[in-house]
Amino acid sequence: MFSLFYGLWKYLFSKMELHVLILGIDKAGKTTLLEKMKSVYSNIEGIPPDRIIPTVGLNIGRIEVANNKLVFWDLGGQPGLRSIWEKYYEEAHAVVFVIDASCPSRFEDAKSALEKVLRHEDLQGAPLLILANKQDLPEAVSAEELAQYLDLKKLDERVFMFEAVSAYDGMGIRESAEWLVEVMERSKRTEMLRARAGAMGQGP
Amino acid sequence: MGLVFTKLFSSLFGNKEARILVLGLDNAGKTTILYRLQMGEVVSTIPTIGFNVETVQYNNIKFQVWDLGGQTSIRPYWRCYFPNTQAIIYVVDSSDTDRLVIAKEEFHAILEEEELKGAVVLIFANKQDLPGALDDAAVTESLELHKIKNRQWAIFKTSAIKGEGLFEGLDWLSNTLKSGGG
Repeated sequence: MFSLFYGLWKYLFSKMELHVLILGIDKAGKTTLLEKMKSVYSNIEGIPPDRIIPTVGLNIGRIEVANNKLVFWDLGGQPGLRSIWEKYYEEAHAVVFVIDASCPSRFEDAKSALEKVLRHEDLQGAPLLILANKQDLPEAVSAEELAQYLDLKKLDERVFMFEAVSAYDGMGIRESAEWLVEVMERSKRTEMLRARAGAMGQGP
Repeated sequence: MGLVFTKLFSSLFGNKEARILVLGLDNAGKTTILYRLQMGEVVSTIPTIGFNVETVQYNNIKFQVWDLGGQTSIRPYWRCYFPNTQAIIYVVDSSDTDRLVIAKEEFHAILEEEELKGAVVLIFANKQDLPGALDDAAVTESLELHKIKNRQWAIFKTSAIKGEGLFEGLDWLSNTLKSGGG
């Protein structure tokens, strides 16, 4: 009986961790973004950009934004490694898709990777933040130009936003995190994941 | 007193010492990796009964590397070395496809250990020099690495014999440990 109430209480009042997946093709700047998030929102000094090596696995960052606990999962973007992305979809509250805005020759690759992500049923209803990264470089295109180029279909029912950022100098980082928190807090998907976690937490 | 200052000094200015366990089934190449890292040479090894310990200095981090024997009979003793471990290097023989299932089970059992909860995980997909060795993506799949969701991990293709991939792995480890990963 106690456990029943406890489960209910936990379901109603506890702040669960919000999982944010950071995806994108290789060299987009995912890990640099993660490290920037960490240094902006916690006292941990992130790894300096020039020391970051290509990710072949999973990097994790835990930060707190407006009383919400965010857990970032940063996965490697090399073609061979993209097959594991989907294993993380089910538990993700939102997706950040990072694109190197200074490298138009790889927009097509990014577009098809993103379209594949959006087609996956395990990510239904997950808010999507598309980052036009590397704004510190003069050749970077704006968020609007990138949006035009990507010309994504099937975004209508999904909460999404394009944001111009620089993971290098920090431009747009706070705006991104705050947007994520705001949309995750009121998304149906968060509600669904929370209910599922609550049901599992009750146990015998 | 001097000792206190030394400790304070080294904790402030790098030269961290990290305990790292090298684990994996027998014949995965753990000892060869250890000596490759320590001396830069290939030594011919015999199956380890018990353990080998060496200190490897790399990127301002002193890695105290414990290579524990991998035979079934000694694996239960691994647990004695678990406390205070910052990282695990799990070595698999990527060419021994028959035993990857066992390697996977053993690996996930290790991750369950309470005392290793905070340790980051580096996987060496070793023996890439052998024909039929699976690549990093295939080893990732076989070991079901995606089940790890609460700690950092990375996988590197290595050949201990040729000395490939090992220091790339240590680069990752030192970066991760310095940024307080886990």
